[in-house]
Amino acid sequence: MHEFEYLRADEVGRAVATVAGDPGASYLAGGTTQLDLMKDGVLAPDRLVDITRLPLGGIACDGDMLHVGAVTTMEELAADRTVAERLPFLRQALLLGASVQLRNMATIGGNLLQRTRCRYFRDPAVSACNKRLRGSGCAAVHGAARMHAILGASQHCIAVHASDMAVPLVALDAVVRLLGRHGERSVPLTEFYLLPGDTPDVENVLSRGELITAVEIPLLAPETRSTYLKVRDRASYEFALTSAAVALRLDGGVIGEARVALGGVGTVPWRAPAAEAVLRGAPAGEEAFTAAAEAAVVDPFTVEGTAFKVELAKRTLVRALRTVTAGAP
Amino acid sequence: MTTVERVRLVGEGVDRVDGPLKATGAARYPNDFNLPDMAHAALVRSTVAAGRVRGLDTAAAESSPGVLAVITHRNAPSLGHGPDTILSTPPPPLQHDRILHYGQYLAVVVADTAEEATAAARRIKVDYDEAEALLDMHDPRAEVLVDPFKTDSDRGDAESALAAAEVQFEAAYTTSENTNSPLGLFTTVAAWDGDTLTVHDSTQWPGNVRTALARVFGLPENAVRVLAPFVGGGFGAGLRPWPHVVLAALAARTVGRPVKLVLSRPEMFTGTGHRTASEQRVRIGATRDGHLVALHHESTTTLQMEGDNFEPCASGTSYAYACPNLRTRDTQVRLNITWCNSMRAPGEAQGNFALESAMDELAYALGIDPLELRLRNYAEEHPGLGLPWSSKALRECYEVGAERFGWSRRDPEPGSMRDGDQLIGYGMAGVSFFWFQQPCQASATLREDGTALVRSAVTDIGTGTYTVMTQLSAELLGLPLSRVAFELGDSDMPEGAPAGGSGLTAGLGSAVQSACHNLVRAFLDIVRHDHTSPLRGCEVDEVAVADGRIFRMGSPGRGESYTDLLAAHGLHELTADGAATPGTSEELGIAPAGAFGAKFVEIRVDPELGTLHLERVVSAIDAGRILNEKTATSQILGGTVGGIGMALFEETVTDRDTGRIANGTFGDYLIPVNADIPDMQVIFVGRPDRFNPVGVKGVGEIGLVGMSAAIANAIHHATGRRLRSLPLTIDMLL
Ligand SMILES: Cc1cc2nc3c(=O)[nH]c(=O)nc-3n(C[C@H](O)[C@H](O)[C@H](O)COP(=O)(O)OP(=O)(O)OC[C@H]3O[C@@H](n4cnc5c(N)ncnc54)[C@H](O)[C@@H]3O)c2cc1C
Repeated sequence: MHEFEYLRADEVGRAVATVAGDPGASYLAGGTTQLDLMKDGVLAPDRLVDITRLPLGGIACDGDMLHVGAVTTMEELAADRTVAERLPFLRQALLLGASVQLRNMATIGGNLLQRTRCRYFRDPAVSACNKRLRGSGCAAVHGAARMHAILGASQHCIAVHASDMAVPLVALDAVVRLLGRHGERSVPLTEFYLLPGDTPDVENVLSRGELITAVEIPLLAPETRSTYLKVRDRASYEFALTSAAVALRLDGGVIGEARVALGGVGTVPWRAPAAEAVLRGAPAGEEAFTAAAEAAVVDPFTVEGTAFKVELAKRTLVRALRTVTAGAP
Repeated sequence: MTTVERVRLVGEGVDRVDGPLKATGAARYPNDFNLPDMAHAALVRSTVAAGRVRGLDTAAAESSPGVLAVITHRNAPSLGHGPDTILSTPPPPLQHDRILHYGQYLAVVVADTAEEATAAARRIKVDYDEAEALLDMHDPRAEVLVDPFKTDSDRGDAESALAAAEVQFEAAYTTSENTNSPLGLFTTVAAWDGDTLTVHDSTQWPGNVRTALARVFGLPENAVRVLAPFVGGGFGAGLRPWPHVVLAALAARTVGRPVKLVLSRPEMFTGTGHRTASEQRVRIGATRDGHLVALHHESTTTLQMEGDNFEPCASGTSYAYACPNLRTRDTQVRLNITWCNSMRAPGEAQGNFALESAMDELAYALGIDPLELRLRNYAEEHPGLGLPWSSKALRECYEVGAERFGWSRRDPEPGSMRDGDQLIGYGMAGVSFFWFQQPCQASATLREDGTALVRSAVTDIGTGTYTVMTQLSAELLGLPLSRVAFELGDSDMPEGAPAGGSGLTAGLGSAVQSACHNLVRAFLDIVRHDHTSPLRGCEVDEVAVADGRIFRMGSPGRGESYTDLLAAHGLHELTADGAATPGTSEELGIAPAGAFGAKFVEIRVDPELGTLHLERVVSAIDAGRILNEKTATSQILGGTVGGIGMALFEETVTDRDTGRIANGTFGDYLIPVNADIPDMQVIFVGRPDRFNPVGVKGVGEIGLVGMSAAIANAIHHATGRRLRSLPLTIDMLL
């Protein structure tokens, strides 16, 4: 491994100043993405600034808003009572991700910024990767693709954003709180991620050294039903082939509010507003579910190994909708 | 002496004798050895699959912190070639600029720390003259090896019999490449002392590594010592002396310090072999009432550019069923791929998938229960040799397995059994595993404190060899377990058989039996003319042993203890050697049988999402005498899990254009996790085998075989869909 300096930040402002002022510096949270990529030779920072001792932990509820500090671990968030009661599909998504060992290390901020699992990105012996080196091409498009995106993808990049947690979070209109050299700002998660276009190396709106300090998550109204369905090749410890996060309010068999997002298929966590529009005001039933699924998966970009995901993603959403409405009065 | 006829089929399930060492971390695996002043090595691998090294820029690496040496083909000494035994030794590394596969070693960097070595290795720049790689087994330019194992068989007139058959069936099956993936990363720690070399290595066969290193470095065999007291799994990957072992020794000699080399997981994927892909075709002719009249099985597997790989997929069909007309053909195609090598149940795992799927398909075509079809074609004697089997309880496997599983509850109609929205599938497969045994030696010593030490240069790769050999030695010497130690994993010990082919327990057990008999004989020899001894003039077959004593058969009072015998003759200890070479069927007039088994599985399929969940597996196994019920059961369970991996998850993917392994990490190459594993039952049936002096047939691999076919057959039962290509994944079930 490339030699690097390890710094333990003790003050938020200094951490930001250090990373913002040094192109060779990176934040280190749980390290479950960052250190892997360093060992694989994909990342080679000169300096790691450990943020896990900064006062950025803690979960606080303020009315209908949950404030989650960026260094809160996935397990801590999953164990939170408010999350269990008011955001059950977020809890499901957290607990279906990775393994308990990883979830005890992995942080919420780091989870949002986890890098794609694409093996062509993660292996520097592969020269064609637009995400690693802009303009170098995409080996995955002609390669062994399975865990890859079909939405927001193109010849330039089919790397999936693999976070489970981010799927319910985009459905919830969560907001990320950022602190940069020029101060604080808030960005809705749905605007935080950038589609790859022809610059897949630019994944989000963060400027150099900008730190995620917290995530603000609007709670679901008590009568909302929600579920997260993850379809994967093995029964645990595996990323999604497809997933669906669904939250609905039903009023006498008619769908009121609807929140829908898909995972495992998008280059970014995939909110599906068109599906929500189909569902809103429709009677809960197969017809609406199928129409929503059709509306959710539009203009997919597939390669040989990912073609099956078009149908699977639709069926996953239909199943999630059926599950979430089952037994409704 | 105790004879096989009197032992119970299933021996006591005593706890592993090495269990406490493993549980406390005291067991030392190759990676646990650190020597004073030890340096570390890292490897540079080719990123093309074919061509030549045009340029190697090592300057940056050489000037990197901590670097002691950079060895490439330009400065490596000329090295000899290791032996070709049951598997050939890969050619020595760094002898030329030719590249034959992705991941081939191009350089080794030695530094003070592993991190420094790795960082420096990354700084080496390689320029290639890339050649077009042969990566597709259908490439017309690829060399095809016909009958490479000399196992092709013909019986009767298979073509005419097929043409004339009342019912004809034909289908093609494919299986993917799999990678052995033992948990313990392969490690070599090499240290030179003048012209003698000591190596700790992750191997399944220390003696073979010793011979290989001796030949590579031009040393006498006794100048090399290979140690492997504990190995973190192998599944066949440790059967060959790999080039990285040579590189570790070369690095140590170059820098004049001990060197440790630990492969990374991606290096395990390119450097320690894999199960080949296969394409197979099965054609069957049968009567309408389900009697086989013709059986054709053809298989093509892949092979690396140099050396061999023993992977007959079709030949096992020749003795699986009674069928008068038969034809099996195995071929291999040479490609620019990483080394193909034995992986748990080589050939058999792939071949059984094709044959046992085809039998299920035939059963449906005929409207006969799949189990019944197998019984109608039961091979009462070895169909090729025409001799009685040394043991065969496959019928019992079918019957007991079916009973335990509840096969009779199965409604044969596909899609007819449901659990809510889930489709239920029952599937089964029969297994006739090959027979394999290698010569082996052992020694047995009795010491004045009344303890025994039995040794052989074999390995225990997690299978339980330490334990079962301790049990067997204790029984043969009439000592309590606590007074017997079994030692292994040192090439200086008596020549051991490889831990492969499910043949170690049979081969080693025979050698241990021979050593223990010889030891008892040695005791009898010292009192042969002793007029005071009640054992005077006794032959070994006239005595029995128990409680640390030898006594005249039938007269427990007329004997002496080992310790008294030693003391009376002024000896501190007495040692005897033993050796065993398997007999031949001509001599014995029986056909040597491998293990037999029947697999029954129940699955649930979610027809909408294509997900499959295994509910339970019943394995009924005839492996002859079972020395230890616990460790043998663990072998079958572990094999079953491996079989589930092969059936549902495992696929080593090679990039079509570059030959790179596209999923060479545990994040990408899926093996089953606990949540994928259902309730698994194991039942042992049968009798001690007559071919093997100890009565055992081996349990290491058979547990894996049959899982793929049983699951694929269950999928057909659940969904009506016939899947003929492994692994069986969600996209196929949508
Ligand atoms: C084997 C394995 C299986 C996995 N399976 C799943 C799964 O099934 N589902 C799933 O969703 N995820 C899965 N993951 C991904 C895992 O959830 C992420 O690796 C983890 O959440 C990242 O969090 P971390 O704290 O370890 O981040 P780190 O690795 O420390 O950081 C990740 C990146 O974010 C940056 N960073 C971290 N925190 C901040 C911050 N507050 N502000 C700005 N930048 C920051 C770092 O510089 C780095 O670039 C898996 C990971 C592994 C290794």
